[in-house]
Amino acid sequence: MPEERFSIPIGPQHPALKEPGHFVFTVDGEVVTGASVRLGYAHRGIEKATEGRNWVQNLYLLERICGICSHIHATAYCLGVEKLAGVTAPPRAQAIRVLVAELERIHSHLLWLGVAAHQAGFDTLFMYSWRDRETVMEMLERLTGNRVNYSANILGGVKFDVTEPAMDAIRHGLRFLEERTSHYVDVVREDRLFLQRTEGVGVMTRAQAERLGVTGPTARASGVPRDLRVDAPYAAYGDYTPRIVTETAGDLKARFIVRLNELSETYQLIRTLLDNLPEGELKTRMPRRIAAGETISRVEAPRGELFYFIKSEGGEQPARIKVRTPTLSNMDSVVRLAIGHQLADMPMLLAGIDPCFSCNDRLTTVQTGDETRLWTWEALRQYGIDYYREKV
Amino acid sequence: MRSILKDERWSKALEQIKLWARQNSPWAIHFNSGSCNGCDIEILATLTPYYDVERFGIKLQGSPRHADILICTGPVTRQARDRLLRIYEQMPDPKFVIAVGSCAISGGAFDGCYNVVGHIDEVIPVDVYVPGCPPRPEAIIDGVVKLLGKMQGEAES
Amino acid sequence: MNALQQAQDMLTEWVEAWTEPEENRLDAQVTPANLLSAVKALDDHAWGYLVAITGLDAGVEAGTLEVLYHFCAGPAVLTLRVTIPREQAAVPSICTLIPYAGVFERELAEMFGIEVYGTPDPSRLFLPDDWPEGVYPLRKDTELD
Repeated sequence: MPEERFSIPIGPQHPALKEPGHFVFTVDGEVVTGASVRLGYAHRGIEKATEGRNWVQNLYLLERICGICSHIHATAYCLGVEKLAGVTAPPRAQAIRVLVAELERIHSHLLWLGVAAHQAGFDTLFMYSWRDRETVMEMLERLTGNRVNYSANILGGVKFDVTEPAMDAIRHGLRFLEERTSHYVDVVREDRLFLQRTEGVGVMTRAQAERLGVTGPTARASGVPRDLRVDAPYAAYGDYTPRIVTETAGDLKARFIVRLNELSETYQLIRTLLDNLPEGELKTRMPRRIAAGETISRVEAPRGELFYFIKSEGGEQPARIKVRTPTLSNMDSVVRLAIGHQLADMPMLLAGIDPCFSCNDRLTTVQTGDETRLWTWEALRQYGIDYYREKV
Repeated sequence: MRSILKDERWSKALEQIKLWARQNSPWAIHFNSGSCNGCDIEILATLTPYYDVERFGIKLQGSPRHADILICTGPVTRQARDRLLRIYEQMPDPKFVIAVGSCAISGGAFDGCYNVVGHIDEVIPVDVYVPGCPPRPEAIIDGVVKLLGKMQGEAES
Repeated sequence: MNALQQAQDMLTEWVEAWTEPEENRLDAQVTPANLLSAVKALDDHAWGYLVAITGLDAGVEAGTLEVLYHFCAGPAVLTLRVTIPREQAAVPSICTLIPYAGVFERELAEMFGIEVYGTPDPSRLFLPDDWPEGVYPLRKDTELD
């Protein structure tokens, strides 16, 4: 079969470039026949660093693993350390942790919607979703004092309280967001160009999803009813239980629908929470030395299951903290699904798992026979857009 | 930003900068040298209509070969260091760099971590520093405007 | 019978010792030689999914490393624990049974200097290409500035 040469100009080409591409795709014509992943771009050495910092310092470090889901990392960490210490944060604090986690889920899903839309060339949708996202950014800032890295958690509880005016502002903002979300669902279900990029693309069956250990909206879009807030409730989720949102098609479109419908569940959960916030303290005392032991903390981050393993040897610093982010396991599914798809589908396929968003800085290696070319992610994105534009 | 604009002297200076920038259309590129994405999402927010950084005359695009300004985040991981240098080298003169966020300035929370090389100004020269973890979009825009003012000053001297 | 009790039944043949470190958790000590059989038992019964592989270093004096394979089913966490010597640290790959374990095994290998024999892609995952050979960041005796 004759192999097509790509004539799309790519960024700087340096045959001697030793820097690894984030993804390596082998193609035959336009079809991907092999794929592998190489991470490390944002590898900072955090797990090692935790062993040289005390329990409080580590809270501030771990909050910054990811600027998009900072709070869920901090929550997983605090819940774990509290378990080791034999301490439970008071009910009001746990409820506030849930409130911030759900607000974070909203900002994360809307951020993702815009970025995914951008990958497909729908910049209007990107602009609208990020404009709407400002509503939740304001809520978070009003509540916590910061738009990003809210730092709501402390070991033993939370730093701030929720006032009546803040609750009213949240309720008001949610009404707006609800309306906008239902509009987005319409776009995803009905826009012809959008459907072309998403319907029937990147299908993962339920059996595959289970076999690939996928979690979060990616798993739920394939019909796997897995959600830690329900399966293994933590913080105050035992009191405020969301419905598990699933779809069955398992394609990219289903991944969009699941995240948007999850937002509706989140709006409802927040309302119930605000109407039923327990009275009481915001924190409880924590020892400086944490009792020896090993604990596991699992939480439902916006992208899927976030897993923390924390080991103490009874001192002021942890012996080991292991963090397994949802993107790491979900990433493998992208690599496997890529095979048999068009190269043009790669940007959307990756967007479907909602990875670290700055993938547009990544270089991608594309191998055709003996020829290896480095593409910027931007070039790949544009290739996808042009490819489907020509198909119309 | 809104309260600053109430000051007449500042708003006059701002108008001059905007006029110059629109005439000269500086192009900027963005590079993440290993950040947690916190700064990057706030930079991206400045492009959206709510903040609209492009009304100041600056345009964000993709190629270093056409860029006047490099907006950089992150504590510079080992993998990112060479790429950062290469991007800077590909930019034509005169070129300018904005370091956004605590990590870009000092390594931030990751100072001392084994795969982190250090602050951006240990790798390339920096013209403007925008502190914060992350800085809010208004602070980023303020940094951009200050840089535009500096560029205008250098162009006119 | 709850999920952890079921797992215990499936694994009796392969496990040397059991501990219950926390509610909803069960730790099972297995030898490297029995690791694959234990994983296969879980896989044959479709018990949960592999969530993570954690490497632990008890320190130079202890002379051993530990590898923890965490499987989760709902709220239940079953961890297979394998203890190996620090010199010539090696475990078999479980990728023939659990294909996506590959990324976890790559991380384990580069961070702890554990050879995961049979893993389909032994290349580095997180560490840069120019990272020195033989320097394993998460070993306790590795000093990094």
